Amino acid sequence: MAFLFGRGRARTNTIDLSKQAREQISKLNGPELVAESAKSELAKILAQMKLTMQGTHETESSPDQVYHLVTGLIQEDLLYLLATHLHKFPFESRKDIQVIFSSAFRFRPPSASPKSDPLALSYVVNNRPQVLIELCKGYEHRESAIPAGYVLREVLKNEAAAAVILYDDGEYDGPGMKGLTTIDRDRPSNGNGVFWKFFDWIDKSSFEVAADAFGTFRDLLTKHKELVPRYLAVNFELFFGKYNSILIQSKSYVTKRQSIKLLGEILLDRSNYNVMTAYVDSGEHLKITMNLLRSDQKMVQYEGFHVFKVFVANPHKSIAVQKILLMNREKLLVFLQHFLEDRTDDEQFIDEREFLIKQIRNMPPTPVQPQVRPGLIIGN
Amino acid sequence: MVAADEAIAKNYHVLEELGRGSFGVVYKALEKATGQTVAIKHIDLESSDDDIQEIQQEIAVLSSCASSFVTQYKASFLRGHKLWIVMEYLGGGSCLDLLRPGVFSEAHIAIVCRELLLGLDYLHNEGKLHRDIKAANVLLSEKGRVKLADFGVAAQLTNIKSQRNTFVGTPFWMAPEVIQQAGYDHKADIWSLGITALEMAKGEPPHANIHPMKVLFLIPKNAPPKLEGHFSKEFKDFISQCLVKDPDRRPSAKDLLKHRFIRSAGKVEALQELIQRKQMWDANRTRKMYPIMYQETLNTVNAAKIQDDDDGWVFDTVKSVAAVAPVSPRKATVKRRPSAMTAMEDNFHKLDLKDGPLQPSSPASLGTVRRSTVRRQPSTAISHSGSPRPSLRAKRPLQPLQPDISFGNNGSTMRLFKRVPSDGSNGPPTVVHDSYDDDFYNSDDDIFPQPKPLPSSRVVSRGSNEENQPPRLFSNHPPPTDATSKEAVLGRRLYAKAIEPGMNEMHASTASPEKREALARLNDAFALLNAVDPEGSYDFMRHMVSSCSQDTRLNSAIVQAPPLCIVNGDYVPEGDAAVGTVIIKSQQSPSKLIMSQANPHLKSHRKRMSSQVNDEPSTPSRKCRELGTMEAKLPKATKPGMEHCKQLSDALYGRWVEGLRVRWPAV
Repeated sequence: MAFLFGRGRARTNTIDLSKQAREQISKLNGPELVAESAKSELAKILAQMKLTMQGTHETESSPDQVYHLVTGLIQEDLLYLLATHLHKFPFESRKDIQVIFSSAFRFRPPSASPKSDPLALSYVVNNRPQVLIELCKGYEHRESAIPAGYVLREVLKNEAAAAVILYDDGEYDGPGMKGLTTIDRDRPSNGNGVFWKFFDWIDKSSFEVAADAFGTFRDLLTKHKELVPRYLAVNFELFFGKYNSILIQSKSYVTKRQSIKLLGEILLDRSNYNVMTAYVDSGEHLKITMNLLRSDQKMVQYEGFHVFKVFVANPHKSIAVQKILLMNREKLLVFLQHFLEDRTDDEQFIDEREFLIKQIRNMPPTPVQPQVRPGLIIGN
Repeated sequence: MVAADEAIAKNYHVLEELGRGSFGVVYKALEKATGQTVAIKHIDLESSDDDIQEIQQEIAVLSSCASSFVTQYKASFLRGHKLWIVMEYLGGGSCLDLLRPGVFSEAHIAIVCRELLLGLDYLHNEGKLHRDIKAANVLLSEKGRVKLADFGVAAQLTNIKSQRNTFVGTPFWMAPEVIQQAGYDHKADIWSLGITALEMAKGEPPHANIHPMKVLFLIPKNAPPKLEGHFSKEFKDFISQCLVKDPDRRPSAKDLLKHRFIRSAGKVEALQELIQRKQMWDANRTRKMYPIMYQETLNTVNAAKIQDDDDGWVFDTVKSVAAVAPVSPRKATVKRRPSAMTAMEDNFHKLDLKDGPLQPSSPASLGTVRRSTVRRQPSTAISHSGSPRPSLRAKRPLQPLQPDISFGNNGSTMRLFKRVPSDGSNGPPTVVHDSYDDDFYNSDDDIFPQPKPLPSSRVVSRGSNEENQPPRLFSNHPPPTDATSKEAVLGRRLYAKAIEPGMNEMHASTASPEKREALARLNDAFALLNAVDPEGSYDFMRHMVSSCSQDTRLNSAIVQAPPLCIVNGDYVPEGDAAVGTVIIKSQQSPSKLIMSQANPHLKSHRKRMSSQVNDEPSTPSRKCRELGTMEAKLPKATKPGMEHCKQLSDALYGRWVEGLRVRWPAV
């Protein structure tokens, strides 16, 4: 009896929790006094929710209770509400929300197949993608950046969730906001979507926020080998335009260095072959890269080198690229000879540097028409 | 990012240096709004290949902690390529520091353990694992409050019940299940706590005399260590409970808080005794310490100055390739610092714009800090390809990292790893020098080498700076004459090795604009003399030295006197590593352990394969040996045909040795 009784009470409690939370959140925008008392009420509710979600070291959480809590969160649209108001919560509540979200997004009812998408995640991706957009907007406030970023990076392992963020166009009901199937992957982005805000968040925020936003940005661009190359191909100009002007030229040392490194990673990723060949065809891109080699910061030089090498190693260099390399051939040869000389224990780097020197030295004296690339033959 | 960070930076007023390690320097600072003392750590991001993400990861873990048992993180921001991390100031030092005078009493250990358990209980409830509990990572406030520090390898679990498999920690303190990589949870921290308790009781962890890699085999294989000797039953039982090999049977932090040994522990204030004991101990062995005030280093700027005497890449088709004059390799122009003192002046101006101190220091405050103001961190010092030992730090083979535990607050965050060998071998000492010493002290192997091609290179670099310089008397130097005679060679050397660095040092430590101007003019005059008549400058100095030595008072005051702060001479704060000009590093023998580069654990291995090797990296005895090797290189014996230079070289040598004696009386 006691067992059944306990269960019954717990069930109403967990459903109640979501209802109560929703009520309190509606007061957050009210007068200050009301909002303050709502916050302290919410703090208790959220702590209780967190406990329900993950239990303690001593007691297991009950899948039954978690199931009811997760469905409660969905029914009351709490995921959206919590994400929107995240920065307004006190410190401990923000951490509780982080735990609630990441637990909810991983929860599968015991009956569900372990390969199915977790309940809350599939609901959000298909029915309430605005939750993801609001989580991204967590980067607008220092308070919410870290918890939101933590949840985001978990969620972004799911390709559909990443697609929602990439293809958002800033409209509340835009494509992707009505479910994944409505996304037209060949339509170029209008540049107003939440994805494009990352550039500013990374460039303009304080270190903590910027570095976290960059981590999410990197995950977004490196985790999905099918989604991202296609996206980059369709939005090539917009993406690399912003990337080069905002991130690579950032005044922030960290942003600059990390974004050059990420650029190298993107270009050298096998799945991005077409993006890479398009990138290294551009003389403008080569100029930017060569200027990085002359940076006064040696780690910037070093990361720049890993982009530069792609231009030089490319067997089908465009005329523009050949011209620039030839125009600077003598300088480059001398320069590379002494480039980052003190990296004596980095054998791979030394080998690559030697290789580049050889390549540049052996270039024909005048630009030659590049052979047609295998990729293009198929295209024609 | 820059503007946002600037706003945070404004909240702090930086005071003196607290300590330094390979990760950077720690300063004491005031939080302006509250008047609270804080510790600010500078991490030079340029000096490491490490992924910035790792640092950020640690900040993320720290910033989500709010417990009085965990060092409090306040803020972080970027200035140029330095990351500043603002932490709570903990004046008591680390437990490892406090162990130096001797082991702790049982009563003290009980208090520390209770506080640590409270901290661990907090962390574990937050789903965090510390993974590197040891005395070096336990910090005390001046009041005796105990705080967990160094979250460099801490983990945030997605669920408090999830397990980890990563191989991290410091071998002696690692739990068997961590080593066996069969999955572990918060109980691993409890094991490390038990080892830390042993460390406090015995002065070192079990197996401390064994190679750390071997210890990794012993810990899972052997029976758990026991506390033996004259200790209470409760204490012995506490240790054995912490050191239960099966993590499932090992009690949690919450359980252990109920243990009798812990319940009977006293108040944290009692730990002040340990702090006082350490202060007394320090006082008995410390010489006078000078606070080192915060000054921005010039590394960035120097690097920036190198920027291109040549005209960059040619992207414009108008310029034909042939028309471009052959360019000297960039590094070649770096060979010498272009450091006429006016260049330094420029540096300061540029610093204000880019990489300067938190607030422009007023001239008055500069005046009171009549010390070497230009600090260079060897880690980023530009390599002088012309110098005999260019940038050793950079050339060193990759070494396993070891926590730098030289200073209490160091332990509280970030890169506290030094690359040192794991076996603690002390091979031939290596010298890490910074550029001033390079010019002044480290004589070349051949005693009077051909003059470096410095005059010309200096002229070149000066030309590039000219627009920023105040109008000066002799801004157009005549082309330098060739130094043909021995006197001329010596004269050149005299200028390069003694006059110019000395002048620079004086200039850097002088605040008043008039004095600076006067010094600049004098330096210019010397530079001119050096350019047109090096023999003259040699003769002049010879006369000066010999007249000085003939006058008894002058003789004792100048010739016999120890050098002033001529070199970038840092007074080494007690117990602190890596401050002085000649720093002895233990030999970098490559680690014996061979692992596949692809092994995901290799990295953590490297980080953690450590011992207390570098505990006191600059003990007098090592310095002594260092001195020996240095002496061998000194111009003691003159080359045949150079006897007439003896007088000068003896004088210079005398000053050099005096300088060493002053700093290291043991020698």
